[in-house]
Amino acid sequence: MDRDQGGVAIERVAAPPPAAPRRRRIDTGRFARLGLLAPTLAITLVCFIVPLGLIALYSFGSVNQVDFNVYFGWTTGNYRAFTSSLYLNTLARSVILSVSTTLACAVIGFTFAYFISRQSPRAQRLLLVAVIVPFWTSFIVRTYSWVDLLQNLGPIDRFARALGMNGHIDILYTQWSIGIGILYSYLPLMILPIYVSLERIDPALFDAAEDLGATPWRQFRRVVLPMAVPGLIAGIIIVGVPALGEYVIPEILGGGKTLMAGNILADQFLQTGNYPFGSALAVSIMVVLMVLLFTLRRAQPAADPQ
Amino acid sequence: MKTREPLSLDPLTRATLLRRAGAGALGVSAASLLAACGSSGSSGSAGGSTSEAIKGQAILANYPGWMGKHNLADFAKKYPGASIKMISNATSSSAEVVLQFKSKQYDFLLSDTSDAGQASAANLITELDWSKIPNAKNVSEKFRKAYPWGLPTDYGKVGIAYRPDLVGGATITSWHDLWELIPKYSGQTVFIDLERDCMGSTCKYLGFSSNTTSPDDLKKVQDAIVSVKPHLKAFLNTDVGAGLVNGSTAMAMDWDYDVALLQQKNEKIKWVLPDEGVHAYLEGFTAVKDTSKIAVIQAFLNFLAEPPQYADFVNTTGTAYLMPPSTPLILKSISQNPILVPTDAVLAKTEFDKYLGADGATLWSNTWTAIKAA
Repeated sequence: MDRDQGGVAIERVAAPPPAAPRRRRIDTGRFARLGLLAPTLAITLVCFIVPLGLIALYSFGSVNQVDFNVYFGWTTGNYRAFTSSLYLNTLARSVILSVSTTLACAVIGFTFAYFISRQSPRAQRLLLVAVIVPFWTSFIVRTYSWVDLLQNLGPIDRFARALGMNGHIDILYTQWSIGIGILYSYLPLMILPIYVSLERIDPALFDAAEDLGATPWRQFRRVVLPMAVPGLIAGIIIVGVPALGEYVIPEILGGGKTLMAGNILADQFLQTGNYPFGSALAVSIMVVLMVLLFTLRRAQPAADPQ
Repeated sequence: MKTREPLSLDPLTRATLLRRAGAGALGVSAASLLAACGSSGSSGSAGGSTSEAIKGQAILANYPGWMGKHNLADFAKKYPGASIKMISNATSSSAEVVLQFKSKQYDFLLSDTSDAGQASAANLITELDWSKIPNAKNVSEKFRKAYPWGLPTDYGKVGIAYRPDLVGGATITSWHDLWELIPKYSGQTVFIDLERDCMGSTCKYLGFSSNTTSPDDLKKVQDAIVSVKPHLKAFLNTDVGAGLVNGSTAMAMDWDYDVALLQQKNEKIKWVLPDEGVHAYLEGFTAVKDTSKIAVIQAFLNFLAEPPQYADFVNTTGTAYLMPPSTPLILKSISQNPILVPTDAVLAKTEFDKYLGADGATLWSNTWTAIKAA
């Protein structure tokens, strides 16, 4: 650039500060940043890395079934046991139930989130509060309430019979009741991230799409849906991951008949006392989840119109 | 072997009645009576210990509701500065109980012969100083011998409860009858969600000892339960037979005391002691290894073994009892209930659980997991 021209003065004002002092600030800043990061790193290390390491360590151990002391013989027997059809079937059942309830959450959650996003600001606030209100009650209490609702001669059964249905609905203590419980408990976690995505869509995009001749359905398919994908994927992760390891809902609404991966895992720690096998199950489930998460993360940028 | 043969000595044993019924209408009048009785009789103070020496709070892991309505409050009143904090926990396996012994979170626990036997084998129990528990003499001798780790408190049998009006008027007399009817009345039967009781009863159905450790036997037990599992309503470990009252359950594998209670709510409920025999448990309170509250525990156990206090325990829980001196204070609906009072013929068909050893316990545990996962 020619420094003799009129713009010189402006360029000088905008020029960066001298290099030497800046380097000194970077050196001190590095320590400052590390200092600021230290608490977070310590918490991550103590609360996540070390426990995960211990779980991995335990998964190669064995247990004395009398006193439940754990011995570390570096056996892979726990992982081999996991490959038996008994546990693989349970894992498959958990994956199927988790996927189906997550999809149901996605469909219902998207519909509701879209409905909320199209309301006036005041109505949106009221509806969002309605979504969050159930969280003010204990999760256990909410889950147990479904026992009363779903049992034979309960309110839903009576209602169905009043409508002319013969016999009982017989939903409680089935996979259906577990699915309903998961759907009910996790639905708000699907609605909120989708709503955030939808709420950020610029209304001008709809006007533009309409001006270009797009039908409402085409607007939804080409504008709304792509813009909602990040929230949808976030919701799927938030719902799908814990649903796969869900333990309490199958315990309460499954009647002890439908054992899920989470129940087998918990039983190893709480009932059987086989910590090594429980750890191997935990590591295996974590691997499955990580594969799913990486797959979703890879899908997200491609689908994100941004 | 900790069998219940000794029960034949006690005409009142098993007279357990409506465990929780005692907490209801029955319990109210009983409570008044017991309160009037106070701590009279052979109360003693922990073998001569003074109440001043007994201080602190001992933590008890117990089955939900498994304590007299006034036991804990009366104990705290008698021993100022000492108390029992009860934490309810419906365990479903011996391993779970032994893990509680090991956890150091509790000072003493409710455990059956199988649990306590394993905890003893793992050196997780504190031996009690029986000189501090003179009231233990109120427990029938054979029960004390069958449960040497702590103070035995109660026992119960696992049989069948059903509603004839919901199974077409059919008469059930055996486990075989139950297995036959389960598919026919699909979704209307509840099994106990407790490894020893559920599998033990199935052992009886198949003609095995309910303490078998034979892999072949247990494989057949697994197959027998899995064959009817699709037709079961649920495996439950609390309120097992509750559905019998409103008719949402037609048949249940259930404990005697629970059925006695349910019959007070619905007289259509029938109790069956199956022809093939029954599995039974004996349980009591046992101190955890190296607990610092042993003085409080011993004082409490001695206190609980006083006839009025033990009667409160029985009248509240409705369980079969094993301290004959308490009989005059126990509700007649319990002490004279045919479901709970064992005859010699009943005792001859009853097998009590025992610790199965490491290999046996592992085999049972693995079989139970396979059943639940199937």
